[in-house]
Amino acid sequence: MARKMLVDEEMNQTNQEEAYYDFDLFVIGAGSGGVRAARFSANYGAKVGICELPFHPISSEVIGGVGGTCVIRGCVPKKILVYGAAFGSELEDARNYGWDLNEKLDFNWKKLLHKKTDEIIRLNGIYKRLLSNAGVKLFEGEGKIVGPNEVEVTQLDGTKLSYSAKHILIATGSRAHRPPIPGQELGITSDEALSLEDLPKHAVVFGGGYIAVEFASIWRGLGANVDLFFRKELPLRGFDDEMRAVVARNLEGRGINLHPQTNLTELIKTDNGIKVTTDHGEELIADVVLFATGRLPNSKRLNLEAVGVELDNTGAVKVDEYSRTSIPSIWAVGDVTNRMNLTPVALMEGTCFAKTVFGKEPSKPDYSHVPCAVFSIPPLSVVGLSEEQAIEQANGDVLVFTSTFNPMKNTVSGRQEKTVMKLVVDAETDKVLGASMCGPDAPEIMQGIAVALKCGATKAQFDSTVGIHPSAAEEFVTMRSVSRRITCSGKPKTNL
Amino acid sequence: MATTSFTAPKLSSPTFQTLCRNFPLSLPIPKTLSSFSFHLSPFLSRFHLHHHHYHPPRFHPRRLFAVRAESENGAEPIRHYDFDLFTIGAGSGGVRASRFAANFGASVAVCELPFSTISSETTGGVGGTCVLRGCVPKKLMVYASKYSHEFDESNGFGWKYDTEPKHDWSTLMANKNAELQRLTGIYKNILNKAGVTLIEGRGKIVDPHTVDVDGKLYTARNILISVGGRPFIPDIPGREYAIDSDAALDLPSKPEKVAIVGGGYIALEFAGIFNGLTSEVHVFIRQKKVLRGFDEEIRDFVGEQMALRGIQFHTEESPQAIVKSADGSLSLKTNKGTIEGFSHIMFATGRRPNTKNLGLESVGVKINKNGAIEVDEYSRTTVPSIWAVGDVTDRINLTPVALMEGAALAKTLFQNEPTKPDYRAVPSAVFSQPPIGQVGLTEEQAIKEYGDIDVYTANFRPLKATLSGLPDRVFMKLIVCAKTNKVIGLHMCGEDSAEIAQGFAVAVKAGLTKADFDATVGIHPTSAEEFVTMRSPTRKIRQSSESQVDADCNLYYDANKLVGGKNGSDTKFPLCILVKTCMPCHTS
Repeated sequence: MARKMLVDEEMNQTNQEEAYYDFDLFVIGAGSGGVRAARFSANYGAKVGICELPFHPISSEVIGGVGGTCVIRGCVPKKILVYGAAFGSELEDARNYGWDLNEKLDFNWKKLLHKKTDEIIRLNGIYKRLLSNAGVKLFEGEGKIVGPNEVEVTQLDGTKLSYSAKHILIATGSRAHRPPIPGQELGITSDEALSLEDLPKHAVVFGGGYIAVEFASIWRGLGANVDLFFRKELPLRGFDDEMRAVVARNLEGRGINLHPQTNLTELIKTDNGIKVTTDHGEELIADVVLFATGRLPNSKRLNLEAVGVELDNTGAVKVDEYSRTSIPSIWAVGDVTNRMNLTPVALMEGTCFAKTVFGKEPSKPDYSHVPCAVFSIPPLSVVGLSEEQAIEQANGDVLVFTSTFNPMKNTVSGRQEKTVMKLVVDAETDKVLGASMCGPDAPEIMQGIAVALKCGATKAQFDSTVGIHPSAAEEFVTMRSVSRRITCSGKPKTNL
Repeated sequence: MATTSFTAPKLSSPTFQTLCRNFPLSLPIPKTLSSFSFHLSPFLSRFHLHHHHYHPPRFHPRRLFAVRAESENGAEPIRHYDFDLFTIGAGSGGVRASRFAANFGASVAVCELPFSTISSETTGGVGGTCVLRGCVPKKLMVYASKYSHEFDESNGFGWKYDTEPKHDWSTLMANKNAELQRLTGIYKNILNKAGVTLIEGRGKIVDPHTVDVDGKLYTARNILISVGGRPFIPDIPGREYAIDSDAALDLPSKPEKVAIVGGGYIALEFAGIFNGLTSEVHVFIRQKKVLRGFDEEIRDFVGEQMALRGIQFHTEESPQAIVKSADGSLSLKTNKGTIEGFSHIMFATGRRPNTKNLGLESVGVKINKNGAIEVDEYSRTTVPSIWAVGDVTDRINLTPVALMEGAALAKTLFQNEPTKPDYRAVPSAVFSQPPIGQVGLTEEQAIKEYGDIDVYTANFRPLKATLSGLPDRVFMKLIVCAKTNKVIGLHMCGEDSAEIAQGFAVAVKAGLTKADFDATVGIHPTSAEEFVTMRSPTRKIRQSSESQVDADCNLYYDANKLVGGKNGSDTKFPLCILVKTCMPCHTS
């Protein structure tokens, strides 16, 4: 039943290779991708072992926890804090709806933090149960690859276990990194930011990616002064430019100080807090400095070079379309491969891996039309191409439909913040190439739109869908007039 | 929600505009000659005949050309009308049809009653039910009332209130009404900008081409009836003490203890509103369950969730009389007994089309037994020059449907593009607390129509509730045609359902399959991602055996069983908790 294999040549080798292995699959790292791959492989009948570092909210070389980044140090705790922070503005908005609230609302950071930690501990337990229910053997300790079919797990007490496995899966994820500036040890990363003892009064966030804007929103929502520094003109490089500008405007509207095209150059400890210096010569004092300047794959202590697993120049494990590394028996999924670093993508990769290796069904993860969300306040969510990407890739003209409106809730609350939605359409085929939205509920709204885009829905199909009234989402099916048409005729048509 | 994002459609039909310019000018005739039609009877009868020949209508482009040819030949006198289109009623459907018609080059007038928050034979207002007495004020009240739940939630997230938040009713009413005034103004502006003549007053049809507005006569090539519907209170003793939804949206003070009679969406929405604004709420329904016509599981789920928030349901209890006591409080007598002490009794027992006193009978516009105007697929009444859209036709009574009907009519009449509204896969929402969003068929309808279906359900505690500690849950359901794999129904009850359902409605309308849903990557962490991660069916229903076939839970069966049963809808098991709060591990 076990040891089903995909690749034909391997099948042919089966007989001579009918050597005994302790496991059909040994997974290093029990995060989203690793747990998914382990469980699904076990469900296909494989004998699976998995190792993971001991649990702690803050990760290190020797600390991790079943559940991985998403559950312990990412999506889940982040979203919990976003919920908590969003109440700040929600409650302000309540006043014009007739609610009498105290002038100053009391917020207890420790309570939120405590409840968040309880919740991730609970989830950590659930994940462990899921693995054991699936029949996956879990080892606590640091995994290392000794040979193409050999792993070694160093347990907490220092004892080492050695196992042979037909397949090894690397799913060790990634960790936040700090920029090499003087005083960088005074700053924190998102791990610590999710577990701060006290709510910062004045936070400095360095970085322009989604993690930076999410933490800026969280702390601002809970009442802190926040200064956000980033290298580009706008935050969220890689997203649609127009939407980036909307996010920037909203962050500013919510009271976050933006410092575009600015780098931090030095942190110095003072009696009043951390003195932050920028490359523009600005100086300010903060009690927390967050580096959200990127994450690096956890590939260092796995002994990969020794067994011949190739890494790219960022340290990511190189894999083919089936998630196989340069060593045929070793595979890798999730952030450690630095493809598209999202939980649901790691799940997809893990599922495809299990299908490919143990399900007799070679499956490539499909990276087209992967939707994603930035849980800033208000959030941004996108699927498909940005306007810039569409123009870049289009053969013909690109039609852009935008809608900027005051959400109905704001009409009474008085909040000055517009929701912006956008559809990018191929003029020739009428296919919707990209959709984006910045405004309340954007991530929830975008999921269904993503199904439509994934299947090549046309603008006409959007238009033929009746709206749900009154909702914000209905705007996506009622965009009648083109905001602009971008002629891409300058480019040679490849289909001629 | 596009309350401030009105964009004028840039559709136009040069051909038709040319025609219009030629056409009315060919015969300069004094305006408002009500008897005119009789003089022109030969032409008119021919005109009518013309349509009848092509009934159900086939609007060949040559129709207009033919008419013009006649006029230019001078063989037939050509009728001049004050307007190409006269619309009675400036609600969602009427405004949409009028604006679009004007944008297509037609000369258009619309009449509407003076503004009031309470509708009557003599009051209405530009914007109609949706803007003044329906969707908009209702949603604003929902926003206001949702806060009490949010205060409770926020406690679990570390927020604290020295004193319990109190609600000031008059602030809400004042701000709500200011917004309604603004919106009615915006709607007037929209009409004005589109070049539509707005006439304030009560329109009545005099003949197939003439409308009387408070004694003044206007002729029109086409007349559109879009007068909507009004709440209906059954005739029981004491009905004069009851209020309807119009009044409930504009009460001078908070109802302390309110009875709501009815189990439809309006009843549930108001139950949520008053409950959230801290009234004591009792809902009386004739049936065993709320929301007849909705998916049975959704009916059960929303009832449970609302009861958990403190609403008291009295099932299978029909009102018989209302009695006013000496202290001014009201008692509701039902088939099961009498409940006393209500400050307000609201009836949400249905709505009726506003077809009285429109002169319909005299011109021969046929009305069905519910009082709704009978129309064909193009919204044409039994009188060829008279059309009707929106609630007055009692098809699907939703604002976006009225908009669709209005837009289709404008295209049919003035753009040479005969267009039928498409009623397939119309999504809708109930803004109860928690809200419902749905599109396509219920399970019961699906079985009837397709026989063999697969049903996927999820019932989980959302991440927010694990922190807040409140008993909030989310229920989701996909109904898939077993033969084609198409998703034919999608239902959700829980936070953000209305917003979530819209995008999926595009997918369902486009006829996408379950495999298409599965191929879509989730957005994490959201509730919506559950719709693209439902892997094993909760049940498979097969016509052949006439009974449920146990779902083949394929390779995930064991894992599911171990964490609490493969049936995700079983609220007693912890699977549901797993499902949402640790999405990536969700076994489904």
